[in-house]
Amino acid sequence: MAAGPLQSQVLLPERIAGLLGLSGTVGQIVGGLIGAFIIANLLLVQTAVAGPWAKRKITAAFTDRIAVNRVGPFGLFVIVADAVRLLSKELVIPDGVDRPAYDLGPLLVPFSALLGFAVIPMGNGIHLADPETGVVFAFAASSIASLGLVMMGYASNNKYSLLGGLRAIASNIAYEIPLIITAASVIIFTGSLQMSEIVAQQAEPLVSIAGITIPQWFAFVNPFAFALFVLANLAEVGRNPFDVPEAPTEIVAGYQTEYSSVYFVLIYLGEFIHIFLGGAIAATLFLGGPAGPVLPGFVWFTIKIWTFYLFTQWARSAVPRIRIDQFLDVGWKGMLVLSFANLVLTAVLVGVIA
Amino acid sequence: MSLEEPTPDDGVVETLPTGGDELEALLGDLAVGREEHMNAPGFVIRPDAVQETLRRLRDEAGFDHLSCVTAEEREDRYESIYHLTSYDDRTREASVVVPAPKGDPVSQSAEPVFRTADWHEREAYDLIGIDYDGHPDLRRILLPDTWQGHPLSQNYDQDRPQIVTLKEWENPLADDHREEEGDTMYVNIGPHHPATHGVLHVKTVLDGEQVVDVDPDIGYLHRCEEQMCQTKTYRHQIMPYPDRWDYASSGLLNEWAYARAAEDLNDIDVPEYAQVIRTLGAEFCRIASHMLAVGTFALDVYGDFTAIFMYAMRDREKVQNVLEDLTGQRMMFNYFRLGGVVWDLPEPREEFFELIRDFLDDLPEALEEYHDLITGNEILQSRTIDTGVLPPEVAKSYGATGPVARGSGIDYDLRRDDPYGYYDELEWDVVTEDGQDNFSRLLVRLREVEESAKIIEQCVDLLEDWPEDDRTIQSNVPRTLRPDDDTEIYRAVEAAKGELGIYIRADGTEKPGRFKIRSPCFSNLQTLPEMSNGEYIPDMVASLGSLDIVLGEVDR
Repeated sequence: MAAGPLQSQVLLPERIAGLLGLSGTVGQIVGGLIGAFIIANLLLVQTAVAGPWAKRKITAAFTDRIAVNRVGPFGLFVIVADAVRLLSKELVIPDGVDRPAYDLGPLLVPFSALLGFAVIPMGNGIHLADPETGVVFAFAASSIASLGLVMMGYASNNKYSLLGGLRAIASNIAYEIPLIITAASVIIFTGSLQMSEIVAQQAEPLVSIAGITIPQWFAFVNPFAFALFVLANLAEVGRNPFDVPEAPTEIVAGYQTEYSSVYFVLIYLGEFIHIFLGGAIAATLFLGGPAGPVLPGFVWFTIKIWTFYLFTQWARSAVPRIRIDQFLDVGWKGMLVLSFANLVLTAVLVGVIA
Repeated sequence: MSLEEPTPDDGVVETLPTGGDELEALLGDLAVGREEHMNAPGFVIRPDAVQETLRRLRDEAGFDHLSCVTAEEREDRYESIYHLTSYDDRTREASVVVPAPKGDPVSQSAEPVFRTADWHEREAYDLIGIDYDGHPDLRRILLPDTWQGHPLSQNYDQDRPQIVTLKEWENPLADDHREEEGDTMYVNIGPHHPATHGVLHVKTVLDGEQVVDVDPDIGYLHRCEEQMCQTKTYRHQIMPYPDRWDYASSGLLNEWAYARAAEDLNDIDVPEYAQVIRTLGAEFCRIASHMLAVGTFALDVYGDFTAIFMYAMRDREKVQNVLEDLTGQRMMFNYFRLGGVVWDLPEPREEFFELIRDFLDDLPEALEEYHDLITGNEILQSRTIDTGVLPPEVAKSYGATGPVARGSGIDYDLRRDDPYGYYDELEWDVVTEDGQDNFSRLLVRLREVEESAKIIEQCVDLLEDWPEDDRTIQSNVPRTLRPDDDTEIYRAVEAAKGELGIYIRADGTEKPGRFKIRSPCFSNLQTLPEMSNGEYIPDMVASLGSLDIVLGEVDR
């Protein structure tokens, strides 16, 4: 159904090594490094578009405005202008910050998200690694960000940061459990944690109506789990209505209150890559990964993660933020219960059918 | 819902002592002297009988609203004037005058009787230097704690250098805990914070995510507006200042407060035509102000610059276009004059009316959109209903007025209860909501926009048919106004935020001897601790937003 091979069995590092004529350990290392470099840059470019430009344009569209349109076509060069502006600002380090932790926090956030992309199949053979524990790896890598947030919150020597750090932890614990439990319900279908296997299984046809074959995407098989996953994901990436860790009108900017200049850029970069990673995991687990008609896999993959990004911005423009206690109520009393119900139900159904 | 007219046949109102002699009889020995203010009878009492007098007036004569406290240093004495009125009948007024000796200005505090006296007496202490005995927390309110002297006292040395040391501002960085062993956290919210609506500093003590104590610290925007008005002449020079008190679109409403006080003081009539124009302009200001209030409240609750904020700004912009056509200015209108307005409606009049009618036609749809987006939103409801609760008796004790009082179910609106302008000729309702919470205050504002639109529509109808030879925009006012020495007046109007009162004491010259502004925001802001203690931080922020304060008016 997709143009070209959906999942080439050859991973990106091997292909690069093959092109360079290298083999063995050297080939693996060089291929891996170059592959990682390519994937990281693909994401950074998308983040650059998403952050300073698309975010403004989307919000403006929701609020009847025009937004950036002065520099370059559609105001696109504002990305360059903003990058220069942000990086040339003074890096203010407040008194009494806990130095190594204060500096490491902003680095952990983007890099944990980038690390998660190592196992995501992006179509057209852009797939860095395909371990058997792919899903677990993706979640584990993205969870490292929580550590970064705590480090920032505690090391900043600021009470708003502290409150933000505490809220970030509370939200990550409350919503990561339902997120992973829901993902586990997909694993029950696939019987494998390997990303390529999960994608391959979703290419199987679900039903065929009038010559159109609908593939067995798990979003179609179990829409309830998909909805749960997207919601938990929204909390995980800290967007409205679940953006309590930042909560600008309450605790200024939460854990990132004391960060300026390049650290500010790193944190924002990390947030956007996390949104994309959230979208990527959702796409891989529920939307057939890079699969889709006519267009190449990578294009479909990009469309899917950008759709999730659009969704987060939509929520941001339209939905009020819930209060911290309501937020935790929803997580512990709502999402957790529902996700376990979903898991048990799926297990029973799969057990009965299979 | 709301009553069209105050009910004089209620029976209760009739039996309450209202006239000067009746009240004097009620006070008996407490009153040691008698004054006549233009708005109310004044009773001079001993400085140690303040609580007893106020309590008697409150409990036995129904004066349950301490509108304002004016303090002043005179030639031979200090003086505090308590302007009392009643929530049930605004036209009943009484002034309690408390002189204090020059050498030792001590006067009993009224705080145990009216909670609102807390801040008003702190301000009197700060600016004039009267010591209020029994006040729970008598420290400076507008000026920094290290300020030397009291700027409105007569022997104040203006040339004395004032040094505000760093130590003055060190405190917020130091005290993390209330007590050594406590597990509360002290946080400064403001003066630079996204949700304080200006330079407000809220000293907050937190227990986890919950607010243990809040203490609003004001004065960052104190610009000596009262003193400035005292150095200007009545006729023209004072009018530009009111625009700068509540600068968030309420200019004409503020101007009306001064115009009303000064016109009554000087016995100036306003032509009916000008009254209609004033009413029209003032209601546009109210809409603009409420739009901003609703937009920023949504911003506080939603947490980001969401669609609703932009929509509110967009609609406010339309109002400002109308006001710009009318007054030539977008915010600092300076449109009212004593005895009328500065100029007639813009020509061609038909175009101006059409602009207004277009706005009015679009308004119901726009309001529907607000209800869809905000009041109908389940998350917003769960955030605002039953948070920031302000019971009516507490609101009254704090002198809360405007949408804050009406959101607590207090049916009190000066436009109806103490009519001025053209309001009593028009068909409209006072909006009240019984929820007492943040949601009610939001609803009151949105519904008041509808009522304002009704008023505007009737004004436009009137103005369209107004005979051309009867369009007097100003009455004949002398070039120089010199009200008699020792004439005192306290008059208020219903501004967007509540009761905006002006007290003027004339001293026989062309400038006021004492000019006092009763700011609704000042009194309303005092209720913040009542609404927020024990609630979550986000609810405190929402409550602050629902009070709709403008710091320019709080600090003056």
